[in-house]
Amino acid sequence: MFYRLSGVYHTDYVSDSRIYGVPADRNMAAFCLIIGLAAPFIIPSLYLNSYMLPWLIWTAAALGLNLVTGWAGQLHLGYAAVMAVGAYSAIHAVRFGVPWEIALIIGGLAAAVIGSLFAFAALRVKGLYLALTTLAMQFIMDWVLTHSAAISGGSHASLQAPTLALLGQQITSDTGYYYVAFGWCLLVTIFMLNLKRTGLGRALVAVREKDYAAAILGVNSFYYKILAFATSSFIAGVSGALLVATFFFLAAPEQFSVNVSIQVLAMVIVGGLSSIIGSYFGVALILLVPGLVNSAVASISQGLGVQIGVETLAHIPNAIYGALIVIILLIEPLGLGKLYGNVRDYLMVWPFDQIRK
Amino acid sequence: MEVRQHIKAAALAVAMATGATAASAQAEEPIRFGLCFDLTKSYTFISPQFAQAAQDLAMYTNENGGIEGHPVEIIIRDHGNEPQRGVECYEQLKREGVFNFYFLSSPVTNAVLPRIMKDENILMQAAAGRGDAVDGDVFKWVFPVGPTYWQQAANDVAFIKDQMGGDLSKAKIGFIYLDYTFGQDVLELMNTLAEQEGFDLELYPVALPGSDQSGAWSKIRRDKPDYVISWLLAGQHVIASKEMRRNRFPIDRYLTVNWLNEVDIKNIGEQEAKGLLRGTTVAGGQDLPLVKTMLDTYYANGRGSGPEAYVRDVYYNLGLALYAVNFEAARLAIQKNGWPLTPESMKAGYESIENFDAQGMMAPVTVTPSDHGGSGKTRIEQWDGQKWVPLTDWSAEYTDVVWEVIKKRSATYQP
Repeated sequence: MFYRLSGVYHTDYVSDSRIYGVPADRNMAAFCLIIGLAAPFIIPSLYLNSYMLPWLIWTAAALGLNLVTGWAGQLHLGYAAVMAVGAYSAIHAVRFGVPWEIALIIGGLAAAVIGSLFAFAALRVKGLYLALTTLAMQFIMDWVLTHSAAISGGSHASLQAPTLALLGQQITSDTGYYYVAFGWCLLVTIFMLNLKRTGLGRALVAVREKDYAAAILGVNSFYYKILAFATSSFIAGVSGALLVATFFFLAAPEQFSVNVSIQVLAMVIVGGLSSIIGSYFGVALILLVPGLVNSAVASISQGLGVQIGVETLAHIPNAIYGALIVIILLIEPLGLGKLYGNVRDYLMVWPFDQIRK
Repeated sequence: MEVRQHIKAAALAVAMATGATAASAQAEEPIRFGLCFDLTKSYTFISPQFAQAAQDLAMYTNENGGIEGHPVEIIIRDHGNEPQRGVECYEQLKREGVFNFYFLSSPVTNAVLPRIMKDENILMQAAAGRGDAVDGDVFKWVFPVGPTYWQQAANDVAFIKDQMGGDLSKAKIGFIYLDYTFGQDVLELMNTLAEQEGFDLELYPVALPGSDQSGAWSKIRRDKPDYVISWLLAGQHVIASKEMRRNRFPIDRYLTVNWLNEVDIKNIGEQEAKGLLRGTTVAGGQDLPLVKTMLDTYYANGRGSGPEAYVRDVYYNLGLALYAVNFEAARLAIQKNGWPLTPESMKAGYESIENFDAQGMMAPVTVTPSDHGGSGKTRIEQWDGQKWVPLTDWSAEYTDVVWEVIKKRSATYQP
């Protein structure tokens, strides 16, 4: 009824390898795209610049981490450090006089180079050992940032980003920033959607499931692991640079510290490993829900006229937020993406499947 | 809602036309202060006391006629020390008509700073964020009233010089600090002073989170510095005190930055801490007119904005002093330029503050368009087992060296 299907039946390989197997999915994606394009005109500026914009950039970043953790199966606890490499390289490049378009690519490439170093650890160790190695990399990066004034900008370790300019246009408005973030997130999403149906994507999945089994099948796990790390680091680097260019306007080590790494990993896990729409949901939950719950609790207590201490009031949203994550993972351990998938699968041929029951 | 607004607007228009009650309608408009604080993560050792002080002072001000007739409204939100949520809080309150902000967290303050400068709103930035923001020529909209860490360190060195008979050429001063921006920022100034005064400067970095200081203190035992200046925070002083005891370093040679309060003293042990030195930015204790007023009018009747224990804390005094300055700025602004209060007039109000000491709460501050810090005086206090005893008067030393650092740093900021 919603999907107007009696089932999904592929009759040739071309239809099987389409991005959207079901027309309704494609229509929904198109609808989201239109909403995204129209957002500056229909969404109040507060929600546009302090919810939508960071949401999109972090989604792009989370998709990059999902590539290496969800698809290639390599646990990564130093993702924020890679974003930092991208951000700092790009900003220094711009301050040096390089135009932003090239600086963003420089940031991405620099991040890819440093990020690939993580891959060399991944070639030797797996699972929890890899998690620990990447965590160590994160700490090394933190240390380098806080101890080299030349990189971090010196005064109170904050480095300002010059005004963003793309294609000869100075970008200074909220709408402009939003479209840059939207464009980047769209690019990464399209890349990830296509990754699913390419040989590269399948090779990554093979490496994830069992790397020596993959090797027996002729998949060079060494190559694909490095490729996964490099690609995801490139996405991280550009996302980090854009985060500073469009949202913070100033880079500081705390914006890329270890807790940020864990936050991105949480986004990916809560959203669902190797789920694209899940990354969108996961980022929304981890990034935006604390603020939303906070304002909700504040306005409820104001509306009821209850006298609660400021400290208690600040801790209630944290408790609600924590409970929310636990409940979601209890209901569906595979994350929000899978939760959405369940609903979608149930409705796919509804109500025709009811006849059989 | 909309209908009511229309009615209100119509009523106002009528009142304006007849020129009868315009003044009283105006008088009801509140002045709003936005406090986006970290009430749940890293800054919880100071933020509740600050928030409570602001609320108490607002309540007291409102019950005594407000600021030039306008009531004060304090809006407190939590940002959990996350830059992203700090920006969100700023953007939200900005749209609710707040233009006076305080974030009390360095990461968040740094993240919001470019927006504040662009939007030309007022940023109170005392005790957090970049120190060079006292340079009013560069940071036009930032008002970090109070001494910078550089000034505090310089005053500490001056105190040691005084204690050692005015000559530091044979002195050895240790500097134990948290190895991130908070501590590192002071190094440059310490080195300059060491060169100028000819004392030996020994550095003892402590890695975050500062819970392991054993390496630093065994080095201190070997080096035997005359004094140790400490750039540690809160609970780290407790660890330092244990290490001092273990390494037989006299606690009366331990001179800390202002971040040590009554809770830390209790954790060290009131008797154990006897002799400890602190460079302070506000007067400690409850023997101050403003604190006494709060205790007598509110806490004695159970009407305070929070637990009384928080009032008996030097950070409450600091919060009270900072908001007293802020309210004074608003008062001067309305007095000078009338209602409505705007960021411009508030800035002018701030910059006309002269010798204001919040009834003895702090060193008299004089804010000028180029010095937003208000002179940066501190004093050294010693814990005598029950209370803090001031050893020096409010003063600011080596101001030329300090301003050289400030100017050098602020020059790196490009708006």
